[in-house]
Amino acid sequence: MNLDYNDEQTMLRDQIQKFCESEYDFYKREKIVKSTDDFDPNVWNLFAEQGWLSMPFSEQSGGLGFGPIELSILFEEFGKALVIEPYLSTVVLSGTLLDKSTYSEKNQLIEKICSGEIHISLAYAEAENGYDYLSPNTNLDSKMILNGTKTLVLNGANSEKIIVTCIKDDILNLVILDAKASGVSMNSFSTVDGQSCSEISFENVKIDESNIISSGDDALNLLKETINLASLCICAEAVGCMESCYHKTLEYTKGREQFGQPISSFQVLQHRMVDMFIESELAKSLLIKAMLEVNNRSDEMYKHVSALKSYVGKSGKMSAKEAVQLHGGMGVSEELMIGHYLKKMISIDALFGNADYHLKTFSS
Amino acid sequence: MDINFSKEDIAFRDEVKNWLDNDYPKHVKEKTDKGITISKDDLIDFHKALSKKGWMGYNWPVEYGGTGWSASKLYIFNKELGLAGCPPILPFGVGMVGPVIYTFGNDEQKERFLPDILEFNTWWCQGYSEPGSGSDLASLKTKAVLRNDLDEDYYVVNGSKTWTTLAQNADWIFCLVRTDNSGIKQEGISFLLIDMKSPGIEVKPIITIDGDHEVNSVFFTDVKVPAKNLIGEEGKGWTYAKFLLAHERFGIAGVGASMRQLNRLKEIISKLENSDLQKKVNELEVALSAIEITELRLLSALQNGGHPGAESSILKIKGTEMQQSLSELFVEVSGEYALMYPGPHGYENNDKPAGPDYAAEGLSGFLNLRKTSIYGGSNEIQKNILSKFVLGV
Repeated sequence: MNLDYNDEQTMLRDQIQKFCESEYDFYKREKIVKSTDDFDPNVWNLFAEQGWLSMPFSEQSGGLGFGPIELSILFEEFGKALVIEPYLSTVVLSGTLLDKSTYSEKNQLIEKICSGEIHISLAYAEAENGYDYLSPNTNLDSKMILNGTKTLVLNGANSEKIIVTCIKDDILNLVILDAKASGVSMNSFSTVDGQSCSEISFENVKIDESNIISSGDDALNLLKETINLASLCICAEAVGCMESCYHKTLEYTKGREQFGQPISSFQVLQHRMVDMFIESELAKSLLIKAMLEVNNRSDEMYKHVSALKSYVGKSGKMSAKEAVQLHGGMGVSEELMIGHYLKKMISIDALFGNADYHLKTFSS
Repeated sequence: MDINFSKEDIAFRDEVKNWLDNDYPKHVKEKTDKGITISKDDLIDFHKALSKKGWMGYNWPVEYGGTGWSASKLYIFNKELGLAGCPPILPFGVGMVGPVIYTFGNDEQKERFLPDILEFNTWWCQGYSEPGSGSDLASLKTKAVLRNDLDEDYYVVNGSKTWTTLAQNADWIFCLVRTDNSGIKQEGISFLLIDMKSPGIEVKPIITIDGDHEVNSVFFTDVKVPAKNLIGEEGKGWTYAKFLLAHERFGIAGVGASMRQLNRLKEIISKLENSDLQKKVNELEVALSAIEITELRLLSALQNGGHPGAESSILKIKGTEMQQSLSELFVEVSGEYALMYPGPHGYENNDKPAGPDYAAEGLSGFLNLRKTSIYGGSNEIQKNILSKFVLGV
C-alpha cells in the first residue's frame, strides 16, 4: 500500500502549482472574469504548451495517456487558484468522450484540442430532466432532423462543435455538429463562479449519418463514464478549494488582531478551523479512493464517485461558509478570494448531481 | 498509488478470519452476536484464547514476546476483530502499562509483569483521572510520600481516582501520583504500580446512565506501595503518561466495529422502506468510508517512513462521533420500542423481547457510547492538540 503520489505525479503537481502562482494569481483571474472574453486565449495557449491539454488522451490519439489521478491533481490545483478556463468542457467532457468513442474524425479533433485550436462542448443537460442525462427529450428523427433544447452547456459560446445527446428510435445517440449550423441558436450567460454557459436550441438541424458518434448501450456507457470522470474532476477541484479555504483562513486569523491579540488565539475560532482541516482531509481521503477506483475502472467506480460528490457537496459548502464567517466583513467582499470559493462550491455542488442526488445514487 | 494490501497482508487477514471462525470462543460469540453483555469470565476466556494463539502482544515488539506486527497487520487485526463483533481487547495491560514497562521499566519489573500481561493472568486498570482533574490530567492530587522503615523503601499513597474502568475486576492498577509539589504541575508526577489487594484500597461502583457498572471510584488511604513498584524515575511520570497516550491513539477509530454496526443498520433499514432513515444510513456509510481511508493514509505514511502526527487526533474525533451516530440511528430505527429499556445487558436469554431484538441494544449502546467523546482525551482536547500542532496557533 502506498497512498502518496509518485515522483512524476508530485512533479506535475509542483509544475501546476508554480504556474498558477506566477501566471494565474487572483488579480489576473479577476481581470479575465471581468473582461468581455470568457477566458484568456493566452493562458489557454500556455496550457497547450505545458502539455496539459493533451494529458488525458490516449497515446494513439496523440495524448500523454495520463489517467484520473493526474486529472485530479490538475483540478485540485485549479480549485486552489479558482481557474475558470474551460478545461472541464473542452478537454474532459468533450475530449475524453471523443477519445473513447469510435468516431471517424476523432483524431483530427483531439489533435486540435491538444494544440488549443478548437473548443468543443458537450450538451448533456435539459431543463425538464434534472440530473437524469440518459433519457433526453431532444429527438433525432428518421430523416436525421434534430430538435430540442439543451441547457447549461459549458463554454457553448466559444465552441466550434457541439456534441449533443438525443434519442433516435428510442435509443440514446451522441451526435456532433457545427455550432454555427443552420437551426442552432444560442443564449449565453455566465455562471455564479465566472464560467460561461449557454442554452442551445436545435430547430430542424440536419445531421449527417457520419456525425453520429455513438448509439445505444455504447452511447449510454460513454456518457455515464464521461460524466463520472468530470464529476471526479470537479470534486478534486472542490478539495483544492477546501484546502485553500482552510489555509487562507488560518493565515488570516493569525494576522488579524482584535482586542489586542491575533484572533487565531481564540479557542472558539481554533476549533472551527480544526473542523475545516478535518473536513478537507476526509474529503481528500474519499477523493483518493474514488480516483483509484476510476483509474482501475472498477465496478464500484460510480458508487465511489457518488460518495465523494455527496460528501464534498456538503462539507465543501461548510468549509467555504466557515471561511467567509471567519474572515468577518472581508469575507463577503468581492476583493478577497475567499467569497469566490463559496461561489465555486455552490457551482460544484449543482453540477452533475448535487449532494442529495449522489447520496441516493450511492446506495442504489 | 496503490490502496491494496500486500499478498502477505492478505494471507494474514485470512489467518485472522480463520482464527475468528474456529478459535474465537463460541460462548462469547453467541452472546456478542445477540448483544448480551459478556461476563468477566467470558472476557478472560476471550483474552486467553488470543494469548494461546500468541496474539495477545499484538502491539508489542518480538523482543518482549509480542507479535512485532507491521502497522498494516495491526490495522487488519483490529478491523477483522471489530467486524466479527469481538469485545474490544482490554487496553489497560497490553495496550497501556505493558509498553510503559518494557520501555521505561527495569529488568526485574519486566520479568515480573510482562509475562502475566501476555498470558492475561493479571487484570490491570488505569489510575489516571481524579475527581478534580479530568481533561487537565496534570492537575492530579493523589499523593505518594517516600518512607523508609526497617530498611524497606515504600510509598504511602493517599487520594482517589475516578472513572476507573472495570476496577472491580482488577488485580493491579497503574497510577499517576504526585511525589512533588514544588515545581510546575507536570514535573512532580510519578508512575506507580499498585496491587489492588493492598490494605487501604476501596473500590466503589459508579453506575452510568445506561445502568451499567463499568466504572468506579478508587480510594487510597495510607496505602503502602513498595518503592520497587516505581516505573523509571520519580518525577518523570508525565513523560511516561504522554508516551502511553500516543500509543493508545492508533486503532482508536474503531472502524471494524463501526462497519459491523453499519452493516446491521443497512440490513434493518433496507426492510423498513423509510427514505429518511435510508438517507441517514447512507450519510454514515460515506463518512465511515472517509474515516477508513484517512486511517489507511496514516498507515501508508507510517509504513513509508513517516510518523503519525497529531493528525491521528482526527481519527479519535471522527471515529468516536461515528460510533455515537451509529448507536443513535439504532435508537431511531427502533421507534417507540426504544422506550422499553431492560437495562445495559439487554434481554436475558429467557426473556421475550418487546419489539425487534435490536431495540434494547440500540439504547444501551447509545447511552454507553456517550463516553467515547469524553475519554482518551476528550474530543475538545483533541481539537486543542490539532490547533497547537497542526494549525500552529
